[in-house]
Amino acid sequence: MRFLYFLLILFAGITSSMGQNKQLLYNVNELPQSLLNNPGSTVNFDGHIGIPLFSKFHISVGSSGLNLYDIFDNSNPDVNKRVSSAIRRLTRNDYFTLHQQLEILSAGWRLNNGQYLSAGVYQEMDMFAYFPKDPALLVNEGNNAYINVPFDFSDVSFTGEILTVYHIGLNKKINDKLTVGVRGKLYSGIFNVESIHNKGLFTTRDDPNTPNFYRHFAENIDVRVNTSGYASLNNSGMTVQQSTADLLKRSFFGGNVGAGIDIGGTYSIRENFRVSASILDIGAVYQQHDIENYLYYGSYATDGIEPLFPDIDPNGNTIPYWDLFEDEVDRNLKDETVHENYTTWRPTKFNAAIEFGFEEMYDVCNYRRTYKRRNFNLIGLHLFGVRRPRTLNFALTAYYDRKFRNNFRAKIAYTVDDYSFTNVGLLVSKRFNKFNMFLAADNLFGYLNLAKSQNAALQFGLQFIFNKQ
Amino acid sequence: MSFFKLHKTQFLLVLFSLVLVSCVKGVDLNQREEIALTPDLQVSLLIFDVIGEDFSDPETGEFQAIIRDTVRLEFLDDSYIQDDLSTVEFSFKYTNSFTQPFRNKISFLSETNGVLHVVNFDILAGTKGQPVETNWVEFINNANIDVVKNSIKMVVELQALPNQDPFEGELKFESKGLFSFEF
Repeated sequence: MRFLYFLLILFAGITSSMGQNKQLLYNVNELPQSLLNNPGSTVNFDGHIGIPLFSKFHISVGSSGLNLYDIFDNSNPDVNKRVSSAIRRLTRNDYFTLHQQLEILSAGWRLNNGQYLSAGVYQEMDMFAYFPKDPALLVNEGNNAYINVPFDFSDVSFTGEILTVYHIGLNKKINDKLTVGVRGKLYSGIFNVESIHNKGLFTTRDDPNTPNFYRHFAENIDVRVNTSGYASLNNSGMTVQQSTADLLKRSFFGGNVGAGIDIGGTYSIRENFRVSASILDIGAVYQQHDIENYLYYGSYATDGIEPLFPDIDPNGNTIPYWDLFEDEVDRNLKDETVHENYTTWRPTKFNAAIEFGFEEMYDVCNYRRTYKRRNFNLIGLHLFGVRRPRTLNFALTAYYDRKFRNNFRAKIAYTVDDYSFTNVGLLVSKRFNKFNMFLAADNLFGYLNLAKSQNAALQFGLQFIFNKQ
Repeated sequence: MSFFKLHKTQFLLVLFSLVLVSCVKGVDLNQREEIALTPDLQVSLLIFDVIGEDFSDPETGEFQAIIRDTVRLEFLDDSYIQDDLSTVEFSFKYTNSFTQPFRNKISFLSETNGVLHVVNFDILAGTKGQPVETNWVEFINNANIDVVKNSIKMVVELQALPNQDPFEGELKFESKGLFSFEF
């Protein structure tokens, strides 16, 4: 029950349906962080060093179908009616996300051959859960109103991970039209939880051919929750200091490891017309340390307990009906904890964009610059997708990017995704000599009252950016 | 010089302000204390099917008018029952093809066999070709719910009320509980 409260309260708060979408940073080629969205983006600087721990911070929390106001509207005192209404309204494909990234180290420099090498370390947390519709209905309403209606445990599907990512990328301008890039990543897992591909039905039927009012069926139950990095923290009795030391150790490949790759490219069809695309986090983590897997499986049907009259067996002993019933349930519905390694695939993302520039800029001619922005104004369309356990989730963004002068740039974006049609975001990037800062926020209208917000995400960063003059 | 060029600092401030001065309006988070889940669970309890032979003494084989059996319902001691059970509606159904009526007595007992609640009713006689149903609903309201919370055993006692007819037939018993919770 408390878990359900937790889900409702936590995720009803601030909502964003695309936690991993960083549409405001995509194609902002004056920012080094753009390379994390597309290693093949055009790079118009020659070096960068991020302020450690401050070069990029991103957080977004959300739900596709619920906000704080839906539950805690103060003009209507019947909160339980609204909770029930929300549970009925949400579908099994509604989802909750919590995504956070903290760049720890970031640096890059242009090699003598003109290629741009960038590397860094960032910590990432990504939590994703589909709304467990049928189990939530069962917990909230019970089976009384759902006789002959199955509760489907495949509705339970969630993933969560905290990891540190070490990466190095190379960006190469092939010719005046094409720039490509690749980034290799090593993942150091800190924590993982995964419960996908569950199945099973629980049904209460009033079949007249059965001997009682109802027969309860648990059919083909197969629920599995994999965890890594959880058991030791949960069971060890470690102090906070010991736990912190353990987490730090895991950050430096002391736990579970994996590898992945980002690829991307940009192609200029004309000087002021570009297309770009990238695929990020094609990779997996092999979970082999501190593993615990929780399994619930089996099938069982019961009409109730059947006393035999008399209540003593031939030896004169009382028949322990309840114990026999429990034993039979345990034989048929297994509850096990095992320690089996497993592999988790990263939530692979892809981006694709077209961009058109107008109002030509007349910059000082500098042939050393690999790429030079040629237009004050850029408009574009950006399609984002992320692989989730059941589907690919998409978001489409239209944006206008304006460079006001050499040291100031702003980008305004309108994003449509599965559930939000009012997401207007803004990025501003300001450079003070070699020091650059950016701030980006999604769904600006939502900040006027976060309780009714369907989207909110925030990111900012501080870094030094160098150009050879 | 454009408007934005002139006001870029203000532009930045507006964005910062929106983020930092964002607010949550029109909600009362204290309502979280009132959130309660109230499932109504239909749970099958006991079933049995007795015939004339079940009323014979297992040792002597002689007819005995009263038979009984006891079933422990351990789940009544679980924390979700003890803490959150609000009401229970028991439903009992007999289907009788004996030509004799019966007297039913269902008792809820504590661990020390203290009688906490008793359900008495008569079971109508039927015929072999036309069994007769007797239904009984026993509602335990919230004021009396402790009789269920403190129970751990359910005793079913059947008393046959013989008549001139041969003691032959089948007596089927069905039972369920509608357990209403407030978590």
